[in-house]
Amino acid sequence: MASREGLLGGARVERIGRERITTRGLADAAPIKHLDPVLVLTAFALTAIGALMIYSASFASLRDAGLSQTSLVVRQVTFAVAGLVTMILFAAVPYRRLRPWAPLVYIVSLFLLLAVLTPLGSRSLGAQRWINIGFFQMQPSELAKLSVIVALAAVLSAGKGEARVRHVVRCGLLVAPLAVLIYSQPDLGTLLVLLAVTLAMLLVSGLRLRLLLVLLVLGAVGFYGLLHLGLLKEYQVKRLTAFLDPTTDPARTGYNLNQAKIAIGSGGMHGKGLFSGTQTNLDFVPEQHTDFIFTVIGEEFGFIGGIIVIGLFAIFLWRGTRIAMMSNTLFGSLLAAGIVGMVAFQAFVNIGMTIGVSPITGIPLPFVSYGGSSLVTTYAATGVLLNIHMRRVAKDRW
Amino acid sequence: MARRGARPALRLFAALAAMTVSMVAIVAQLIRLQIVDAASLETLGAKQRVRSVTLPARRGTIYDRNMVPLAISIPARALYANPHDVVNPETTADALSVALGIEKGLLLDRLTRDSSFVYLARKVEVPLATRVLALNLPGIGAFPETKRVYPQGTLGAQVVGFVGTDDTGLAGIEAGQDSVLAGVPGREVTEVDPNGHPIPHGRSAVTRPKAGKDVVLTIDRNLQFATEDALDRALLQTGAPRAAAVLIDPLTGEVLAMANRPALDPQLFGSATPISIRNRVVQDAYEPGSVNKLITAAAAIEGGIALPSDVYSVPDHLALFGKVFHDFAPHKTERWSYNEILAHSSNIGTIKVAQQVGRSRLYAMLRKFGLGEPTRVGFPGESAGILTTPDKWSATDMATIPIGQGIAVTPLQMAAVYAAIANNGVWTQPTLIKRLVADGKAQPRTKPVSRRVISSFTAAQLRGMLLGVVETGTGKPARISGYLIGGKTGTARVPLANARGYSNQVMTTFIGIVPVESPRLVAAVVMDNPAAHIAAATAAPTWRNIVQFALGFMRIPPSYGLDPADDRRNRSGTP
Repeated sequence: MASREGLLGGARVERIGRERITTRGLADAAPIKHLDPVLVLTAFALTAIGALMIYSASFASLRDAGLSQTSLVVRQVTFAVAGLVTMILFAAVPYRRLRPWAPLVYIVSLFLLLAVLTPLGSRSLGAQRWINIGFFQMQPSELAKLSVIVALAAVLSAGKGEARVRHVVRCGLLVAPLAVLIYSQPDLGTLLVLLAVTLAMLLVSGLRLRLLLVLLVLGAVGFYGLLHLGLLKEYQVKRLTAFLDPTTDPARTGYNLNQAKIAIGSGGMHGKGLFSGTQTNLDFVPEQHTDFIFTVIGEEFGFIGGIIVIGLFAIFLWRGTRIAMMSNTLFGSLLAAGIVGMVAFQAFVNIGMTIGVSPITGIPLPFVSYGGSSLVTTYAATGVLLNIHMRRVAKDRW
Repeated sequence: MARRGARPALRLFAALAAMTVSMVAIVAQLIRLQIVDAASLETLGAKQRVRSVTLPARRGTIYDRNMVPLAISIPARALYANPHDVVNPETTADALSVALGIEKGLLLDRLTRDSSFVYLARKVEVPLATRVLALNLPGIGAFPETKRVYPQGTLGAQVVGFVGTDDTGLAGIEAGQDSVLAGVPGREVTEVDPNGHPIPHGRSAVTRPKAGKDVVLTIDRNLQFATEDALDRALLQTGAPRAAAVLIDPLTGEVLAMANRPALDPQLFGSATPISIRNRVVQDAYEPGSVNKLITAAAAIEGGIALPSDVYSVPDHLALFGKVFHDFAPHKTERWSYNEILAHSSNIGTIKVAQQVGRSRLYAMLRKFGLGEPTRVGFPGESAGILTTPDKWSATDMATIPIGQGIAVTPLQMAAVYAAIANNGVWTQPTLIKRLVADGKAQPRTKPVSRRVISSFTAAQLRGMLLGVVETGTGKPARISGYLIGGKTGTARVPLANARGYSNQVMTTFIGIVPVESPRLVAAVVMDNPAAHIAAATAAPTWRNIVQFALGFMRIPPSYGLDPADDRRNRSGTP
């Protein structure tokens, strides 16, 4: 029975905090009537801020290089439109129908990740992460995140809220090949996102706390091993540990972080104003339109701008968690939890790395950073969240 | 149904809590960075070791009126060393010494200094600099600069001027138009570590330089060359140590040539003498002598006091204000028309006319012709000449100023006076700069000032008197067959530098209008202390040499002799 499958067991819980989440009386309305406008508007707001910041961070360099000042932001807006279409698509098709597609999506991801490592893939900044498809460089590891969420949701929902060791093992078997391929690119950031997503979904799957703790300890030992057994490249180790003391080597490893902190700090309370970030315009901060976009926000809009962006993420994550709770199927709850885990981890680690509270791992800021694969993937995930929300009350009409 | 320890909703709340904690941590750190530490991070950013390199702006080209480059900047390199990075100063100095042709000891001294930057050579031509860099000597580098070259050599050097090592104009148009020519230098800001090395992947910020504007002079390269050449020959022939000449188009005021001798090599200005650097046409005032008599005549005719045909009784000396004045050569008392007075350049005749003109009318005429103030031709350090107000004139000044002593003018000022007479009485400000060009587009320029000084009737009378001077008087050596020329000689003694009275040195001048019936060119030649103390033997023949070339070059048709009938009549000796 569908309603019994949900986390909250149908309408038995009527409120989360002061908010009514009762479904009584809404059940007959069409799914589109149950759209979550707050989630959509939050996503749009973050994308708009991102586009503005990309322009601010890139126009000077583009102009100096003799290119169109708007070329990057135009691409980003194009990606956003593509993301919007993807979101509508992922919201329209009932999410239950994703389950049969899970194996195929998974295999396609695996294949694309393999392809990246062949001569089809292209290198940049010491890593091989992209497949060049004409006008656009696709980053298959972004697609891999989504496919892992769908695959794990399919596997774990079979546990009917009481996931056991065998489910965990199946999850491990699913994640491991993707993880190995992503690691060999190398793309440490995405690897960590996959682990965070897995952890979030295991948490919701009803796995015993004892087992979860064992997994966490194993993970910690594994991470320590990565750092000290020479499995990581030296620069990766340095980047991961530099945030602990960036002043040890300011010209090299700690450089990014120091520059990011100087840029954000010099923004102060109100910021220096749009297009007036000197650290940004003088290109002191590296990768400022992609991974370090938050430094532009911090420098030009100050503390107030930073709080607004963090607040928008808080709203998004709150709506996502709420959707996970309200879903009337465990599959939906798991999907939502995975998506929330993905966005939360990326947002926190990305913002955290620019201000020195988390390691520098090359993770984009969802919705905000420049990059088509990331933007389209995040919008697809948002579409799935909307899908779950819209169909939380539907009986078998879908 | 839910087992103990497996309450998914609760776990989602736990996840929500974990996210909240992360968010609080991030906000706390933001508060620390942006509110608590904001000021110190701001200064840290400002204090970062930023190396700023100036990117030189292309200095504008100076062209002649036909766009022949007179001064042009070419790319060059400054070679420098970071002695801290030089591995082996000895071998490095050896290699550089061979490549650059600089003494090894000099290089070794610089390469071993305790500094992170020393110049090795400036203004090195690009191919040579490339060869030096190709030696891959550690610690040796180059950055772009420009080198000023003067493709026409000494041509017009006192007018064009020259620049210093930093490409700042030091003299001439280079100095006067420095702000126009210089442009705005760019800047490259690079983030460097404490060793002065750029940070890897740290791209630098570049502000592009803005090129300077080009200056197009009114000077014609060919006329300038011919004028300088004629002056060079004149120095040899007359023994004069210095000479200057200026050619003006009387209709536009454009200066077509402005020549000073001895010559100046702008590439070697360090060895130049102050004398050869000066553009005496504009910068030095001298007592003009008899050429000033024309202004007295202008005042007399314009004031209705005299006409060229009026006859005066002219003795060869005259006692006036307790002083005796003489004509140049003794003669018995003659009855000369004003025409003849000017043709013989009689001091006494001119003084007699000037007595009738009076000091205020004479002063007004001198001022109207632009004496006593710079012409604002567009050249730095222009002299205004010396013209005191009539209330300060002594009694004898009223006798000497009409004949051009006790007053000082620049050759250009006096040439402009004759140009005004040639231009039917309208004085036109002489110009040396035809236009400025920025990015290939001409810049709008203010029109030169012009004003009517005398009526066209007076101007025509004066041109007639000048024609008489050349046809029958002291100006005969300036005659050029086929052309009617109006001109005036002037021979003036040079005042003592540090005392009252005059030395026995003279300045000789000839200024002429050609063709006098339809003026196209006014030329002035001033010679400094030639062996023969007489303008007719020095400045006038030199003037003729210059103008003869100019007439042909400018394709100015002859005044007569073009008609075959005229030609036949001349050949058959008919008067």
